[in-house]
Amino acid sequence: MTVSLDRKPSLALRILGIAALAAAGGVTGYALAGVTELETMPWDDSLNLLMAALLIVSALASVVVMFTRPSSVPKGCGVLQIVVLLLAGVMLLLPMYGPTYASPDLIFWAVVALLIGQSVANLMLWNTADELFRRVMAETSALAFWAVQLALFVYAAAERLGLIQSISAWGMMGILMGVYLVCSVIASARRGLAT
Amino acid sequence: MNNRLKVLRAERNWSQAELADRLGVSRQTVNALETGRYDPSLPLAFKIARVFEQPIESIFTD
Repeated sequence: MTVSLDRKPSLALRILGIAALAAAGGVTGYALAGVTELETMPWDDSLNLLMAALLIVSALASVVVMFTRPSSVPKGCGVLQIVVLLLAGVMLLLPMYGPTYASPDLIFWAVVALLIGQSVANLMLWNTADELFRRVMAETSALAFWAVQLALFVYAAAERLGLIQSISAWGMMGILMGVYLVCSVIASARRGLAT
Repeated sequence: MNNRLKVLRAERNWSQAELADRLGVSRQTVNALETGRYDPSLPLAFKIARVFEQPIESIFTD
């Protein structure tokens, strides 16, 4: 007998899903442009804001997936993934918008506290995940490290030679996060996690 | 590496989620194994062999 009991969503449902995702992306972009002054914002702030929005939207999308396609194995992995993504997004937003509401000192220590919390959640995620997820995490890290260290070397050489202007550490952080997200998509797609 | 996971699972009328539960891995891992996108570790290969009650070499071929 070759009957498969897995019910894959129909093509229409998949197209509808993609359309919903595209619409969500459009609405997010429109909302982001509406609440921020992207034209007057420095490029490094814009980039980090975009990264923060991507991380938070990914976390929200993960919440939807968790409720629509619940899975008991690996236990707690979904929740931890959401916590890690949300904290990463908030940590990128705080240095930009936090000083409006509190002193920079307080915001800095809040970021450090969140960073510790996120590191713990990341470690728990690694311990909870099964071997495929661990492999994807390791491949993402390796790919991102390889890409970023190559780019850093080229940039450092050009900067030392006085050919380009210096980039702020904040800008580099945004670039690093962007590269990491792209590497994460590539590693996930290679292992079939994106389908 | 090729494997007969999909056939063996279908013979038992198990869904990917059911097999994943028996193996203690995610459904995505079973899917990646079946589509050849991921080769299991040795401990997982042994577990698969135990679940299907077959020797490893009859499930996995290179």
